Amino acid sequence: MWRVVPGQLLAFREWDGEAVLYNDLSGNTHLLDGGAVEVLLALRAEPLDAATLATRLADRFDAEDDALPAAIDAMLTELAGLDLVESLPC
Amino acid sequence: MLTVADLPRRELAARLAGPGLVLRTGPFANRIHSDIPQLLEGIALLYADYPVDAPGGFADFNLSLHRAGGLRRFFRPQVCFSHEGATPFQPLPLAQAYPMFEWVMNWCVSHRAHSYLIIHAAVLERHGRAIILPAPPGSGKSTLCAALVTRGWRLLSDEMTLVRLDDGAVLPLPRPVSLKNESIAIIRAYAPDVVLSPPVENTNKGTIAHLKAPPASIARADETARPAFIVFPRYEAGAPLTLTPMGKARAFMGVAENAFNYQVLGMRGFAALGQLIDATAAFEFRYSKLDEAVQFFERLAQDGA
Repeated sequence: MWRVVPGQLLAFREWDGEAVLYNDLSGNTHLLDGGAVEVLLALRAEPLDAATLATRLADRFDAEDDALPAAIDAMLTELAGLDLVESLPC
Repeated sequence: MLTVADLPRRELAARLAGPGLVLRTGPFANRIHSDIPQLLEGIALLYADYPVDAPGGFADFNLSLHRAGGLRRFFRPQVCFSHEGATPFQPLPLAQAYPMFEWVMNWCVSHRAHSYLIIHAAVLERHGRAIILPAPPGSGKSTLCAALVTRGWRLLSDEMTLVRLDDGAVLPLPRPVSLKNESIAIIRAYAPDVVLSPPVENTNKGTIAHLKAPPASIARADETARPAFIVFPRYEAGAPLTLTPMGKARAFMGVAENAFNYQVLGMRGFAALGQLIDATAAFEFRYSKLDEAVQFFERLAQDGA
């Protein structure tokens, strides 16, 4: 299961499929693609595992169904590297 | 309104050596103390048209530039800068007193004026449209800025774009334009009538001269401007002129990288920069011929797109 790091406000601005996000916990600003923002917003609503995220976001992404879980996994790892999300013990 | 040019030279020297010369630059009052003749000459030449306040009043910044004491007065003399008692810079050779003055004037703003988002960028206005030129050193920003200023553009700043946090207006801070190395000869040839300070060699940025800001720009220093474009310039010898639209999120990151205090401002900086990006179109601009670039900017300001 993954969740947004507690306390993270997720302040972002999105233009034409690209976004900038102000990480108010680290003070850094990140350039993200719009897909990453979709993932963050879904996780802000409730913690989810990668497979459920893939199902929820399937109609938002232009990816083959079987490629999406791996792409979501990679994105979660990337967002965890930016201290925006963290995995929860199952 | 009293200006530096209204003060007899003796009075200018007396204020600098005594209670301080309170010089108005854009929204700031700077109290300057100095006993250095080159600095007096530089201020008399390049700040002639700037308003002067009464010596005793409030000043945003208190700057002091003096000759190093003791034997250093006679052996390779140096200039020392202090700001409200602190000495943030190493002394420099006395011959570099005037460039040092300009650098410390910039330093005061970039380190203290946090009611603005401060971008390391030139900003000029024409036909009611302000164009912001953020760029690292070596991009040709100041040369381009100086050339535009000699062709009737209003100078808001060649070095620091001040964006007001609440409404996104750009505040003018018109000051002398810093020219380096070959740019000095280029601008002399491009506009033979301009007023330039005597070049100072061997600074850590090479040879430096400053171009006097146009009196019309100084007279409008309390008139804000609306930003219309953000253009990232890059001089490249022999390159054809090209203009490439930039995505807004990428432009945001580019401006943030060139801002002095984006990190300091935190969420307020993020909001202000987002507002600036909303209000402007952003481009990467590559050029090699100054004339072509100036004509291009004229069309951009006139047509707006």
